Amino acid sequence: MNRTMKKFSLIAMAALIPACASQPPHTDIAQLDEARALIAKAKAAGAEQCAAERQAEAVAKFYAAAHEFSEGNIHPDEQANLVAASIKAAKQAYGQAMRGCKPEIIALEGVYFETNSAELTSASITVLDHAVDVLNKRSGIKVEVASHTDSRGKATYNEALSALRAKRVMDYLTTHGVDASRLSAHGYGETQPIADNATSAGRAKNRRVELRVR
Amino acid sequence: MRIMIVIALLIFPFTASAGKFLSVEDRAEIVKEQVKGNDSYQAHLARKLASFAEEEVYQHDPQTAQVFIKMAEEAAAKAGNAK
Repeated sequence: MNRTMKKFSLIAMAALIPACASQPPHTDIAQLDEARALIAKAKAAGAEQCAAERQAEAVAKFYAAAHEFSEGNIHPDEQANLVAASIKAAKQAYGQAMRGCKPEIIALEGVYFETNSAELTSASITVLDHAVDVLNKRSGIKVEVASHTDSRGKATYNEALSALRAKRVMDYLTTHGVDASRLSAHGYGETQPIADNATSAGRAKNRRVELRVR
Repeated sequence: MRIMIVIALLIFPFTASAGKFLSVEDRAEIVKEQVKGNDSYQAHLARKLASFAEEEVYQHDPQTAQVFIKMAEEAAAKAGNAK
């Protein structure tokens, strides 16, 4: 190695030493798998929004545990305690998120459309008129009209169809006196089933319109 | 050329360590002040990591304290002004 190379190596090492000294702990450790999975599950359930403190505790303890593991087996009790604490907090965050993140849903049971169409059936009108009454009584709430399909057909088609149906319901509500500023419409297509799409009964449940209180 | 190398050797570590001239405890206080009143996930995470950093100082592990305070500062920066 010539002198110039040696000098550059020294410079590079000098630059890297302080950067390496404060890297986050390595977390790809099998003993952390359960905590990692639970944290991810809680996050997916919306824990960062609805159970922020508990989720942060789970993640912080997860990193603290990872740090303990990085030191070898010096403090096995501490490692176990931190992993257990992370798991416990993640479970609590998940439970809290499931309770707190779920929007209040006003189901519009009985709202149906013609097949492959956004045209409301006549039987749906009674249900929507009832929804107008509910929204007029609860004048302080805003809602999202959420429309869903079953899984038959192409996902893109289902999404577009559900968006049209949600808009159709929203239009009905606004033309019957609900202020448009209180409403929004969203078509979720087949992405949020509540029943098994393998059965006709399940598919019927999945084809639905609901009002999500925001 | 030699002078430039010496200057580079001196400057690189200090620029990489910018902000680390303060003690970990001081940096933890700054983090906590920065996220005061902020109820977001990142703010909570910043507070907890800053507390871990302080604990590590008390346990005479400055290197680990540096790791956690840096993570706390990053979380606080992400928390921003979302209160």
